[in-house]
Amino acid sequence: MLRYYIRLLLVLLISAPLFAQDTENEVTKDRTVFKEKYGLRFGIDLSKLGRTAFDSDYSGFEINADYRLTKNLYLAGELGFENKTTNTYFLDSNAKGSYFKAGIDFNLYRNWLGMQNMIFSGLRTGIGSFSQTRERYTIYDTNNQTWGEVSNDESIEFSGLTAAWVELLFGLKTELLNNLFLGFSVQLKVRIADTNLNNFETLYIPGFGRTYDSTKIGTGFSYNLSYLLPIYKKGTEKKEEVEEESIED
Amino acid sequence: MKRILFLVLILILPACEPDDICSESTQTTSPLVITFFNIENISNTKTVPGLFAVGLDSEGNEVVIDGEIVSSRDKITLPLDVSQSQTQFKLYQNYSVTDGVVQGNPDTITITYNSESVYISRACGFKNVFTIQSFEIQSDLDQWMIVSSISINEVVNQNETNVEILH
Repeated sequence: MLRYYIRLLLVLLISAPLFAQDTENEVTKDRTVFKEKYGLRFGIDLSKLGRTAFDSDYSGFEINADYRLTKNLYLAGELGFENKTTNTYFLDSNAKGSYFKAGIDFNLYRNWLGMQNMIFSGLRTGIGSFSQTRERYTIYDTNNQTWGEVSNDESIEFSGLTAAWVELLFGLKTELLNNLFLGFSVQLKVRIADTNLNNFETLYIPGFGRTYDSTKIGTGFSYNLSYLLPIYKKGTEKKEEVEEESIED
Repeated sequence: MKRILFLVLILILPACEPDDICSESTQTTSPLVITFFNIENISNTKTVPGLFAVGLDSEGNEVVIDGEIVSSRDKITLPLDVSQSQTQFKLYQNYSVTDGVVQGNPDTITITYNSESVYISRACGFKNVFTIQSFEIQSDLDQWMIVSSISINEVVNQNETNVEILH
Protein backbone atom coordinates (compact mmCIF):
# COMPACT_ATOMS: atom_id res chain seq x y z
CA MET A 1 0.00 0.00 0.00
CA LEU A 2 2.71 2.38 1.06
CA ARG A 3 4.80 1.36 -1.92
CA TYR A 4 1.82 2.09 -4.12
CA TYR A 5 1.57 5.63 -2.76
CA ILE A 6 5.26 6.26 -3.25
CA ARG A 7 5.12 4.99 -6.80
CA LEU A 8 2.04 7.09 -7.55
CA LEU A 9 3.82 10.12 -6.17
CA LEU A 10 6.90 9.48 -8.31
CA VAL A 11 4.90 8.95 -11.47
CA LEU A 12 2.97 12.16 -10.89
CA LEU A 13 6.13 14.08 -10.10
CA ILE A 14 7.85 12.88 -13.24
CA SER A 15 4.87 13.48 -15.49
CA ALA A 16 4.16 16.98 -14.16
CA PRO A 17 6.86 18.82 -16.20
CA LEU A 18 5.73 16.99 -19.37
CA PHE A 19 2.20 18.12 -18.78
CA ALA A 20 3.38 21.65 -18.24
CA GLN A 21 5.28 21.68 -21.53
CA ASP A 22 2.12 21.74 -23.64
CA THR A 23 1.41 25.29 -22.65
CA GLU A 24 4.69 26.78 -23.80
CA ASN A 25 3.63 27.16 -27.41
CA GLU A 26 0.98 29.63 -26.43
CA VAL A 27 3.39 32.51 -25.93
CA THR A 28 2.58 35.52 -28.07
CA LYS A 29 4.71 38.46 -28.88
CA ASP A 30 2.53 41.38 -27.91
CA ARG A 31 3.62 43.27 -24.90
CA THR A 32 0.71 43.89 -22.58
CA VAL A 33 1.88 42.79 -19.19
CA PHE A 34 -0.56 40.47 -17.53
CA LYS A 35 -0.67 40.86 -13.83
CA GLU A 36 -1.14 37.91 -11.55
CA LYS A 37 -2.99 37.92 -8.27
CA TYR A 38 -1.08 37.65 -5.02
CA GLY A 39 -2.86 37.09 -1.77
CA LEU A 40 -3.97 34.93 1.03
CA ARG A 41 -5.94 31.78 0.29
CA PHE A 42 -8.10 30.13 2.96
CA GLY A 43 -9.65 26.73 2.74
CA ILE A 44 -11.14 23.73 4.44
CA ASP A 45 -10.51 20.05 3.99
CA LEU A 46 -13.64 18.50 2.51
CA SER A 47 -12.41 14.94 2.89
CA LYS A 48 -12.32 15.30 6.68
CA LEU A 49 -15.85 16.69 6.70
CA GLY A 50 -17.02 13.82 4.53
CA ARG A 51 -15.34 11.25 6.69
CA THR A 52 -16.84 12.83 9.80
CA ALA A 53 -20.28 12.41 8.25
CA PHE A 54 -19.88 8.81 7.10
CA ASP A 55 -17.41 7.19 9.49
CA SER A 56 -18.74 6.80 13.01
CA ASP A 57 -15.22 6.16 14.34
CA TYR A 58 -13.90 9.47 13.06
CA SER A 59 -14.42 13.18 13.39
CA GLY A 60 -12.07 15.81 12.13
CA PHE A 61 -11.80 19.33 10.80
CA GLU A 62 -9.00 21.18 9.09
CA ILE A 63 -8.54 24.71 7.88
CA ASN A 64 -5.65 25.59 5.65
CA ALA A 65 -4.11 28.73 4.24
CA ASP A 66 -1.39 29.73 1.85
CA TYR A 67 0.25 33.00 0.99
CA ARG A 68 1.92 33.60 -2.36
CA LEU A 69 5.47 34.83 -1.91
CA THR A 70 6.83 34.74 -5.46
CA LYS A 71 5.62 33.51 -8.83
CA ASN A 72 5.83 29.89 -7.84
CA LEU A 73 6.49 29.82 -4.11
CA TYR A 74 3.80 29.80 -1.44
CA LEU A 75 3.94 29.74 2.33
CA ALA A 76 1.40 27.20 3.44
CA GLY A 77 -0.01 25.73 6.61
CA GLU A 78 -2.82 23.68 8.08
CA LEU A 79 -4.53 23.70 11.44
CA GLY A 80 -6.95 21.03 12.53
CA PHE A 81 -8.22 18.51 15.02
CA GLU A 82 -9.08 14.85 14.78
CA ASN A 83 -10.79 12.28 16.96
CA LYS A 84 -10.32 8.70 15.84
CA THR A 85 -11.31 5.42 17.43
CA THR A 86 -9.31 2.37 16.43
CA ASN A 87 -11.13 -0.92 16.93
CA THR A 88 -9.74 -4.37 16.51
CA TYR A 89 -10.97 -7.64 17.95
CA PHE A 90 -8.33 -7.37 20.65
CA LEU A 91 -8.13 -3.63 21.25
CA ASP A 92 -10.21 -0.42 21.33
CA SER A 93 -8.34 2.83 21.49
CA ASN A 94 -9.25 6.45 20.93
CA ALA A 95 -6.95 9.31 19.98
CA LYS A 96 -7.96 12.95 19.93
CA GLY A 97 -6.10 16.18 19.62
CA SER A 98 -5.04 19.03 17.42
CA TYR A 99 -2.20 19.66 15.04
CA PHE A 100 -0.44 22.38 13.13
CA LYS A 101 1.57 22.09 9.95
CA ALA A 102 3.67 24.74 8.28
CA GLY A 103 5.84 24.80 5.20
CA ILE A 104 5.95 25.70 1.54
CA ASP A 105 4.24 24.79 -1.70
CA PHE A 106 6.09 25.09 -4.98
CA ASN A 107 4.09 25.39 -8.18
CA LEU A 108 5.41 23.14 -10.93
CA TYR A 109 2.79 24.07 -13.49
CA ARG A 110 3.18 26.77 -16.14
CA ASN A 111 -0.29 28.27 -16.44
CA TRP A 112 -1.97 29.56 -19.50
CA LEU A 113 -2.58 33.23 -19.44
CA GLY A 114 -4.94 34.45 -16.76
CA MET A 115 -5.13 31.12 -15.06
CA GLN A 116 -4.03 30.27 -11.58
CA ASN A 117 -4.11 26.51 -11.44
CA MET A 118 -1.38 24.68 -9.63
CA ILE A 119 0.34 21.36 -9.80
CA PHE A 120 2.51 21.58 -6.78
CA SER A 121 4.91 19.85 -4.57
CA GLY A 122 5.29 20.89 -0.97
CA LEU A 123 7.09 20.34 2.27
CA ARG A 124 5.68 20.60 5.77
CA THR A 125 6.72 20.06 9.30
CA GLY A 126 3.87 19.06 11.57
CA ILE A 127 3.34 18.88 15.28
CA GLY A 128 0.46 17.25 17.06
CA SER A 129 -0.72 17.54 20.63
CA PHE A 130 -3.11 14.80 21.66
CA SER A 131 -4.30 12.24 24.14
CA GLN A 132 -4.93 8.55 23.67
CA THR A 133 -7.31 6.40 25.66
CA ARG A 134 -7.12 2.65 25.89
CA GLU A 135 -10.78 1.73 26.18
CA ARG A 136 -10.80 -2.06 26.12
CA TYR A 137 -8.60 -5.02 25.39
CA THR A 138 -8.96 -8.77 25.17
CA ILE A 139 -5.92 -10.75 26.23
CA TYR A 140 -4.31 -12.34 23.19
CA ASP A 141 -4.11 -15.95 24.24
CA THR A 142 -4.08 -18.80 21.74
CA ASN A 143 -4.73 -21.24 24.61
CA ASN A 144 -7.92 -19.53 25.75
CA GLN A 145 -10.25 -22.36 24.63
CA THR A 146 -9.82 -24.08 27.98
CA TRP A 147 -10.60 -21.27 30.42
CA GLY A 148 -12.20 -18.69 28.15
CA GLU A 149 -11.34 -15.23 26.91
CA VAL A 150 -10.53 -12.44 29.31
CA SER A 151 -11.24 -8.78 28.56
CA ASN A 152 -10.52 -5.62 30.47
CA ASP A 153 -12.79 -2.56 30.14
CA GLU A 154 -10.81 -0.36 32.47
CA SER A 155 -10.12 2.81 30.52
CA ILE A 156 -6.72 4.43 30.80
CA GLU A 157 -5.98 7.84 29.36
CA PHE A 158 -2.52 8.87 28.23
CA SER A 159 -2.63 12.64 27.98
CA GLY A 160 -0.19 15.38 27.09
CA LEU A 161 1.25 13.45 24.16
CA THR A 162 3.12 15.14 21.35
CA ALA A 163 4.45 14.05 18.00
CA ALA A 164 6.42 15.72 15.21
CA TRP A 165 6.78 14.73 11.61
CA VAL A 166 7.75 15.99 8.16
CA GLU A 167 5.63 15.69 5.04
CA LEU A 168 6.26 15.64 1.35
CA LEU A 169 3.14 16.66 -0.55
CA PHE A 170 2.04 16.48 -4.08
CA GLY A 171 -1.19 17.98 -5.31
CA LEU A 172 -3.33 20.00 -7.63
CA LYS A 173 -5.39 23.15 -7.25
CA THR A 174 -7.76 24.36 -9.89
CA GLU A 175 -9.80 27.55 -10.05
CA LEU A 176 -13.45 26.60 -10.36
CA LEU A 177 -14.97 30.06 -10.16
CA ASN A 178 -13.30 33.41 -9.74
CA ASN A 179 -10.94 33.02 -6.76
CA LEU A 180 -12.57 29.75 -5.66
CA PHE A 181 -10.29 26.74 -5.82
CA LEU A 182 -10.75 23.02 -5.53
CA GLY A 183 -7.72 20.89 -4.93
CA PHE A 184 -6.38 17.68 -3.63
CA SER A 185 -3.10 16.49 -2.31
CA VAL A 186 -1.44 13.29 -1.21
CA GLN A 187 1.11 13.33 1.55
CA LEU A 188 3.97 11.09 2.46
CA LYS A 189 4.93 11.54 6.09
CA VAL A 190 7.84 10.54 8.25
CA ARG A 191 7.51 10.56 12.03
CA ILE A 192 10.55 12.10 13.66
CA ALA A 193 9.52 12.18 17.30
CA ASP A 194 6.71 11.04 19.52
CA THR A 195 6.05 10.40 23.18
CA ASN A 196 6.60 6.86 24.39
CA LEU A 197 3.69 5.39 26.31
CA ASN A 198 4.07 3.14 29.29
CA ASN A 199 2.89 -0.35 28.26
CA PHE A 200 1.10 0.99 25.18
CA GLU A 201 1.91 2.86 21.98
CA THR A 202 0.45 5.64 19.86
CA LEU A 203 -1.86 4.04 17.33
CA TYR A 204 -3.15 7.22 15.75
CA ILE A 205 -1.67 10.71 15.74
CA PRO A 206 -4.01 13.58 14.82
CA GLY A 207 -2.64 15.19 11.66
CA PHE A 208 -0.30 12.31 10.97
CA GLY A 209 -2.74 9.43 10.78
CA ARG A 210 -2.31 5.85 11.81
CA THR A 211 1.08 4.58 12.79
CA TYR A 212 2.84 1.41 11.71
CA ASP A 213 4.96 -0.85 13.88
CA SER A 214 7.35 -1.65 11.08
CA THR A 215 8.02 1.85 9.78
CA LYS A 216 8.02 5.55 10.70
CA ILE A 217 6.26 6.38 7.46
CA GLY A 218 2.62 7.40 7.12
CA THR A 219 0.37 8.61 4.34
CA GLY A 220 -2.40 11.13 4.00
CA PHE A 221 -4.86 12.55 1.59
CA SER A 222 -6.89 15.75 1.51
CA TYR A 223 -9.48 17.34 -0.70
CA ASN A 224 -9.68 21.09 -0.28
CA LEU A 225 -12.01 23.92 -1.13
CA SER A 226 -10.34 27.31 -0.79
CA TYR A 227 -10.92 30.95 -1.50
CA LEU A 228 -8.30 33.49 -2.56
CA LEU A 229 -8.37 36.96 -1.04
CA PRO A 230 -6.29 38.95 -3.53
CA ILE A 231 -4.07 41.54 -1.83
CA TYR A 232 -2.12 42.91 -4.77
CA LYS A 233 -1.34 42.19 -8.40
CA LYS A 234 2.06 41.79 -9.92
CA GLY A 235 3.39 41.03 -13.40
CA THR A 236 6.05 38.46 -13.92
CA GLU A 237 9.41 39.94 -14.77
CA LYS A 238 11.68 37.28 -16.05
CA LYS A 239 14.18 38.70 -18.54
CA GLU A 240 14.43 35.91 -21.09
CA GLU A 241 10.76 35.23 -21.23
CA VAL A 242 8.40 37.04 -23.48
CA GLU A 243 5.58 38.46 -21.44
CA GLU A 244 2.32 36.84 -22.19
CA GLU A 245 -0.75 38.75 -23.19
CA SER A 246 -4.41 38.41 -22.54
CA ILE A 247 -6.44 37.91 -25.69
CA GLU A 248 -9.47 35.97 -24.77
CA ASP A 249 -11.71 35.36 -21.82
CA MET B 1 -9.68 25.62 -23.55
CA LYS B 2 -9.22 28.52 -21.18
CA ARG B 3 -9.99 26.59 -18.07
CA ILE B 4 -8.84 23.14 -17.36
CA LEU B 5 -10.68 21.16 -14.78
CA PHE B 6 -8.69 18.49 -13.12
CA LEU B 7 -11.11 15.78 -12.23
CA VAL B 8 -9.47 13.52 -9.80
CA LEU B 9 -10.86 10.27 -8.60
CA ILE B 10 -8.91 8.83 -5.78
CA LEU B 11 -9.76 5.27 -5.04
CA ILE B 12 -9.01 4.48 -1.46
CA LEU B 13 -7.48 1.06 -1.93
CA PRO B 14 -8.14 -1.45 0.81
CA ALA B 15 -5.03 -1.53 2.92
CA CYS B 16 -3.95 -4.77 4.47
CA GLU B 17 -0.60 -4.37 6.13
CA PRO B 18 1.38 -7.11 7.86
CA ASP B 19 1.00 -4.76 10.82
CA ASP B 20 -2.67 -5.65 11.05
CA ILE B 21 -2.19 -9.37 11.52
CA CYS B 22 -0.75 -10.86 14.69
CA SER B 23 1.95 -13.16 13.36
CA GLU B 24 2.19 -16.67 14.76
CA SER B 25 5.83 -16.17 15.59
CA THR B 26 4.92 -13.40 18.03
CA GLN B 27 5.36 -14.44 21.64
CA THR B 28 1.86 -13.94 23.09
CA THR B 29 0.35 -15.32 26.31
CA SER B 30 2.39 -18.39 27.15
CA PRO B 31 1.21 -21.59 28.83
CA LEU B 32 3.02 -23.04 31.85
CA VAL B 33 5.76 -25.48 30.89
CA ILE B 34 6.58 -28.44 33.14
CA THR B 35 9.50 -30.78 32.47
CA PHE B 36 9.84 -34.16 34.18
CA PHE B 37 13.21 -35.36 35.51
CA ASN B 38 14.47 -38.67 36.81
CA ILE B 39 14.59 -38.73 40.61
CA GLU B 40 17.46 -41.21 40.49
CA ASN B 41 19.50 -39.04 38.14
CA ILE B 42 18.26 -35.49 38.35
CA SER B 43 20.20 -34.24 35.35
CA ASN B 44 18.22 -36.46 33.00
CA THR B 45 14.66 -35.97 31.89
CA LYS B 46 12.36 -38.95 32.34
CA THR B 47 9.34 -39.79 30.25
CA VAL B 48 6.00 -40.11 32.03
CA PRO B 49 4.10 -43.08 30.56
CA GLY B 50 0.55 -42.28 29.45
CA LEU B 51 0.64 -38.68 30.68
CA PHE B 52 -2.66 -36.84 30.54
CA ALA B 53 -3.89 -33.61 32.16
CA VAL B 54 -7.33 -32.23 32.97
CA GLY B 55 -8.10 -28.84 34.46
CA LEU B 56 -10.05 -28.31 37.66
CA ASP B 57 -12.26 -25.25 37.97
CA SER B 58 -12.80 -23.37 41.23
CA GLU B 59 -15.55 -25.81 42.24
CA GLY B 60 -13.37 -28.84 41.54
CA ASN B 61 -15.13 -29.85 38.33
CA GLU B 62 -12.97 -31.34 35.62
CA VAL B 63 -12.34 -29.14 32.56
CA VAL B 64 -11.11 -30.61 29.30
CA ILE B 65 -7.92 -28.94 28.17
CA ASP B 66 -8.08 -27.98 24.51
CA GLY B 67 -5.67 -30.05 22.44
CA GLU B 68 -4.58 -32.28 25.32
CA ILE B 69 -4.08 -35.95 24.36
CA VAL B 70 -2.76 -39.00 26.21
CA SER B 71 0.88 -39.57 25.35
CA SER B 72 4.15 -40.60 26.95
CA ARG B 73 6.39 -37.53 27.18
CA ASP B 74 8.76 -35.71 29.48
CA LYS B 75 7.25 -32.25 29.00
CA ILE B 76 3.74 -30.81 29.27
CA THR B 77 2.31 -27.35 28.62
CA LEU B 78 -0.71 -26.25 30.64
CA PRO B 79 -2.85 -23.13 30.00
CA LEU B 80 -3.32 -21.00 33.12
CA ASP B 81 -6.65 -19.30 33.79
CA VAL B 82 -6.12 -15.56 33.15
CA SER B 83 -9.24 -14.58 35.08
CA GLN B 84 -8.05 -16.28 38.29
CA SER B 85 -4.93 -16.13 40.43
CA GLN B 86 -4.85 -19.90 40.88
CA THR B 87 -5.32 -22.87 38.56
CA GLN B 88 -5.51 -26.55 39.46
CA PHE B 89 -4.78 -29.54 37.26
CA LYS B 90 -4.98 -33.27 37.64
CA LEU B 91 -1.99 -34.98 36.04
CA TYR B 92 -2.47 -38.68 35.28
CA GLN B 93 0.25 -41.26 34.91
CA ASN B 94 -0.74 -44.34 32.82
CA TYR B 95 -4.04 -42.76 31.87
CA SER B 96 -6.52 -44.95 30.05
CA VAL B 97 -10.23 -45.43 29.84
CA THR B 98 -11.56 -48.97 30.01
CA ASP B 99 -15.31 -49.51 29.65
CA GLY B 100 -15.95 -45.91 30.65
CA VAL B 101 -13.80 -46.17 33.76
CA VAL B 102 -10.75 -43.94 34.06
CA GLN B 103 -7.60 -45.87 34.94
CA GLY B 104 -4.32 -44.35 36.02
CA ASN B 105 -2.74 -42.48 38.88
CA PRO B 106 -3.89 -38.86 39.23
CA ASP B 107 -1.95 -36.28 41.22
CA THR B 108 -3.37 -32.77 41.72
CA ILE B 109 -1.20 -29.70 41.29
CA THR B 110 -2.04 -26.14 42.31
CA ILE B 111 -0.33 -23.13 40.76
CA THR B 112 -0.82 -19.66 42.23
CA TYR B 113 0.39 -16.64 40.30
CA ASN B 114 0.12 -12.92 39.65
CA SER B 115 -1.06 -11.67 36.27
CA GLU B 116 0.08 -8.64 34.34
CA SER B 117 -1.14 -7.37 30.97
CA VAL B 118 1.78 -6.47 28.72
CA TYR B 119 1.35 -4.58 25.45
CA ILE B 120 2.65 -6.38 22.37
CA SER B 121 1.54 -4.51 19.24
CA ARG B 122 -1.41 -2.99 17.39
CA ALA B 123 -2.41 -6.34 15.88
CA CYS B 124 -1.81 -8.57 18.92
CA GLY B 125 -2.95 -6.15 21.60
CA PHE B 126 -2.05 -7.29 25.10
CA LYS B 127 -0.71 -10.57 26.38
CA ASN B 128 -0.82 -11.85 29.92
CA VAL B 129 2.41 -12.51 31.79
CA PHE B 130 2.06 -14.82 34.81
CA THR B 131 4.50 -14.75 37.67
CA ILE B 132 4.36 -17.99 39.62
CA GLN B 133 4.01 -17.50 43.37
CA SER B 134 3.79 -21.12 44.36
CA PHE B 135 3.58 -24.59 42.89
CA GLU B 136 2.23 -27.42 45.03
CA ILE B 137 1.65 -31.11 44.56
CA GLN B 138 -1.24 -32.29 46.72
CA SER B 139 0.02 -35.21 48.74
CA ASP B 140 -1.82 -38.51 48.52
CA LEU B 141 -1.07 -42.15 49.31
CA ASP B 142 -0.06 -42.98 45.78
CA GLN B 143 1.86 -39.93 44.68
CA TRP B 144 3.90 -40.34 41.49
CA MET B 145 5.31 -36.79 41.38
CA ILE B 146 7.77 -36.58 44.26
CA VAL B 147 9.49 -33.19 44.25
CA SER B 148 8.89 -29.98 42.34
CA SER B 149 10.92 -26.84 41.93
CA ILE B 150 10.24 -23.60 40.08
CA SER B 151 13.03 -22.81 37.63
CA ILE B 152 11.59 -19.71 35.92
CA ASN B 153 8.86 -17.73 37.69
CA GLU B 154 7.81 -15.64 34.72
CA VAL B 155 5.62 -17.52 32.27
CA VAL B 156 6.54 -15.72 29.05
CA ASN B 157 8.08 -18.23 26.66
CA GLN B 158 6.67 -21.65 25.91
CA ASN B 159 10.11 -22.95 25.00
CA GLU B 160 11.36 -22.42 28.54
CA THR B 161 10.63 -24.76 31.43
CA ASN B 162 8.96 -23.06 34.38
CA VAL B 163 8.63 -25.99 36.73
CA GLU B 164 10.78 -29.11 37.09
CA ILE B 165 9.26 -32.25 38.61
CA LEU B 166 11.13 -35.31 39.79
CA HIS B 167 9.48 -38.69 39.58
